Amino acid sequence: MPKDISAVVEKINVSAPSSDARWAFEGDVPFGDLEAGVPLSAMPVVHRLRLGNGLRLLLLVDRAAPVVAYYTWFRVGSRHEKPGKTGLAHLFEHLMFNETEGLKAGDFDHKLEAHGAESNAATWVDWTYYHESLPKDGLGLAVKLESERMARLVLREPQVTSEKEVVANERRMRVEDDIEGAANEALYATAFTEHPHHWPTIGWMKDIEGFTPEDCEAFYRTYYAPNNATLIVVGDVREAQVLQKIRDAYGAMPAARIPEEDTRPEPVQRAPREVELARPTATTKLLMGYHGPALGDADHAAATVLSEILLGGRASRLYEELITQKELCTEVRGWVSTFRDPGLWEMYATVREGRSAAEVLDVFEAATARVRDGLVSDDELARAKARLELGALQGMDTASGMAEQIGFYDSLLGDPAGAFRKLEAMRRVTAGELRTVARRYLRPEARTLVRVVPEERPHGATTTEGAAEASA
Amino acid sequence: MSAARAAVHVRPAETDLGGGATLVVESSHALPLVWLTVSLKSGTTLGSDDDEGLLRLTSRLMRRACEGMTTQEIDATIDRLGAELVIEVGPSAVTWHGQVLKKNVAAFCALIAKLFGAPTFPEDELARLKRETCAEIVESRDSDRSLAAVAFRRAVFRDHPYARRATGRIATIERFGRDDVLACRARHYVRGSLVIGFAGAVSPDEAARHAEAIAASLPASPAPPRDLAEPTIAPGRRLVFVDKPERTQTQLIIGGLGSSTRDPDHFALSAAMAIFGGTFTSRLMKEVRSKRGWSYGASARLSLERRRHAFSMGTAPGAADAAKCIALELELLQTLVDGGVTARELSFIQRYLSRSHAFEVDTAQKRLEQVTDEILLELTPGYHADYVRRVEEVTVEAAAAALAARISTRDLVITVVGTASELLDEVKAAVPDLASVAVIPYDAD
Repeated sequence: MPKDISAVVEKINVSAPSSDARWAFEGDVPFGDLEAGVPLSAMPVVHRLRLGNGLRLLLLVDRAAPVVAYYTWFRVGSRHEKPGKTGLAHLFEHLMFNETEGLKAGDFDHKLEAHGAESNAATWVDWTYYHESLPKDGLGLAVKLESERMARLVLREPQVTSEKEVVANERRMRVEDDIEGAANEALYATAFTEHPHHWPTIGWMKDIEGFTPEDCEAFYRTYYAPNNATLIVVGDVREAQVLQKIRDAYGAMPAARIPEEDTRPEPVQRAPREVELARPTATTKLLMGYHGPALGDADHAAATVLSEILLGGRASRLYEELITQKELCTEVRGWVSTFRDPGLWEMYATVREGRSAAEVLDVFEAATARVRDGLVSDDELARAKARLELGALQGMDTASGMAEQIGFYDSLLGDPAGAFRKLEAMRRVTAGELRTVARRYLRPEARTLVRVVPEERPHGATTTEGAAEASA
Repeated sequence: MSAARAAVHVRPAETDLGGGATLVVESSHALPLVWLTVSLKSGTTLGSDDDEGLLRLTSRLMRRACEGMTTQEIDATIDRLGAELVIEVGPSAVTWHGQVLKKNVAAFCALIAKLFGAPTFPEDELARLKRETCAEIVESRDSDRSLAAVAFRRAVFRDHPYARRATGRIATIERFGRDDVLACRARHYVRGSLVIGFAGAVSPDEAARHAEAIAASLPASPAPPRDLAEPTIAPGRRLVFVDKPERTQTQLIIGGLGSSTRDPDHFALSAAMAIFGGTFTSRLMKEVRSKRGWSYGASARLSLERRRHAFSMGTAPGAADAAKCIALELELLQTLVDGGVTARELSFIQRYLSRSHAFEVDTAQKRLEQVTDEILLELTPGYHADYVRRVEEVTVEAAAAALAARISTRDLVITVVGTASELLDEVKAAVPDLASVAVIPYDAD
């Protein structure tokens, strides 16, 4: 039986030094599958709380292992950047591991590792998060370090230049020398002309090279504030201890004025677009994107199910036709983007050596026409739903996995148990709804195609000098 | 998701299923999911170089056709059950990894028993799978990291079975016929080799029933011999340059022979290697990434296998920094081997490894894998359970002695994936006492 936390809140608030440091309890959210037959009274809950300065806390007590996951989600990502300053949210993620007023460069990681903690961070279109997984007695350390860098980060040389170089190398690894990364960047840059999805989260190389400590400082002061953040704590903890520690560490931080959104919606795409890249590869790759629904749109669940029927796993329609039967491709997969604003419904295929992209595109076009014109079978629908149910549960076996899901869905949909609500919505999807979303989104004129083609080059030969070498 | 999550961690129960087969069960009802591993004490080291890729090909073909079911029917059934079934072939084991919704575990296990017990190996499916495998090998050349790993392993282990790639080579795959596949299945898929593991929402009794059905589907033969020689490394510093056009970045793997878990200094070497490149604040990370910004990642590791395997350092500097980075890594390694580790470093890593052990056992699946690893990799019994204690016993002197005894700075393989026309001369100049250089086109088989 989950604990009634309102009494705990009341008790802790007695000693609050200011109104900014008072907790408000905003309710409990059952964290589980409401259709799985578990009584509501036996289901774990996410406690929702907010400090007077706007900092939100989502707390799930889970005693499966003597560990705690501590996540800080900031509601800022590459969507909030401006042309010429792309990649700043991501660079910032790196800089947050450096010096603070109370910690020398390197101390942050050193202190965490000395406690056996794992830590990392991630940035995407809509959000940035930082996380630590610690043995359960490390909660105080996570609170101390995260609150320190939320308010007292030091941004100066040589750390900024050094991290810019690390990020440039990361970009080389993920984009310049990575075929799929390059294709993905080209896809969004071509499909979006107005919306910030146009630029990559890692940023354009020219922008990365141009950042100054002043750019970083301005970004920090604008977006890194308690009222733009949510803490997620999952693990073997005591509620009162969590509330007390967080209140003491964050309660004195002032709220900031977070700028209003200034994003332009993407105009409707009325004609297909195509771009070609030449790369040193043996085979052609095709990456297609149709303008799709936002994560919070009612259509998103149906689009996800249909994507699964088309490209999810070996029994999906396109896998079976393109890889198993016709042997046109080596790999196919699909994904409906999970962004706050409408993104892309992506489809990817690797064309086998000796087969043509045209053959593959014909199959894709026929498959999308078929789902626009007809209904999928009951069996296909049931299989896709079973696969999605498995996928929804797979990431929930650790405290960190649960915390990430809670943070993701809360940041985008305002619902910490959104992963389960999405699963329930997918279970309700009907064949007719799939046909509707196919007609709404899988329109030929709304497609952008990136074609990666092998570039011509002379064939190399193995050479050896010195002692004989085993062939590789 | 159930509220009934309790932190009780004892070693998962092992049961003798008879005929050489073993069952390991770690129940947990935290999620309505069951993880299943069906392993064979087999692997790529049991065949010959001519068989490279055969065991994986055979295993994948078993998953694709059985009595009364086509590939499509098998795949559709797995999906319908809310399951996944993936085959992994390594040097010392073949493992079928399954995950399934709790309500369908019985049907899933029945399917696996059928795939094991009644495979049909149709000629047309074999031909299709061979073509698919060759296409996958071509495709894998897009990954520079994978190119570096394959080249490194082949250069370190040369004629030893550890040099083999589970996927095989196009030349070997094209040669295999149905008779080869049948012989491979007969040799490797036997009851005496089986190690079956269940983790998650399944009781020990239920797991035992399913495991017995899977074990009964295989011939009651003993496991094939697992003889394996200790690898040796060729003398000298050898550069293997995998030449790929237009690389703005390089992939570097530098290393040689590492540790065997039977070495008395194994835990000392593990601790030293963690100090060198096992954390965000390790020596390598500090020097390569934090101070110079040369590479997004920088790490060093010891690979665990039945015999002495590799130690390796991995980095990915931009092409302009590659030669400097190699020189720095060699220098850092020399300093480590010559000077050992400090008391402060050792105390820090002992604390880190001891406390972070909580994340090695925080799920039923991980606890299961620790036990099955011990069986399949022939680790010393209780290897994982004793890990923290053994690491905490390491002294500065023991770490220094282990480094001096096990890590050679002279007999090393330096693997680079980059563009030779732009970098080769610079890289050669960065490696003192270079004994040999091999330049290999990235699309060589």
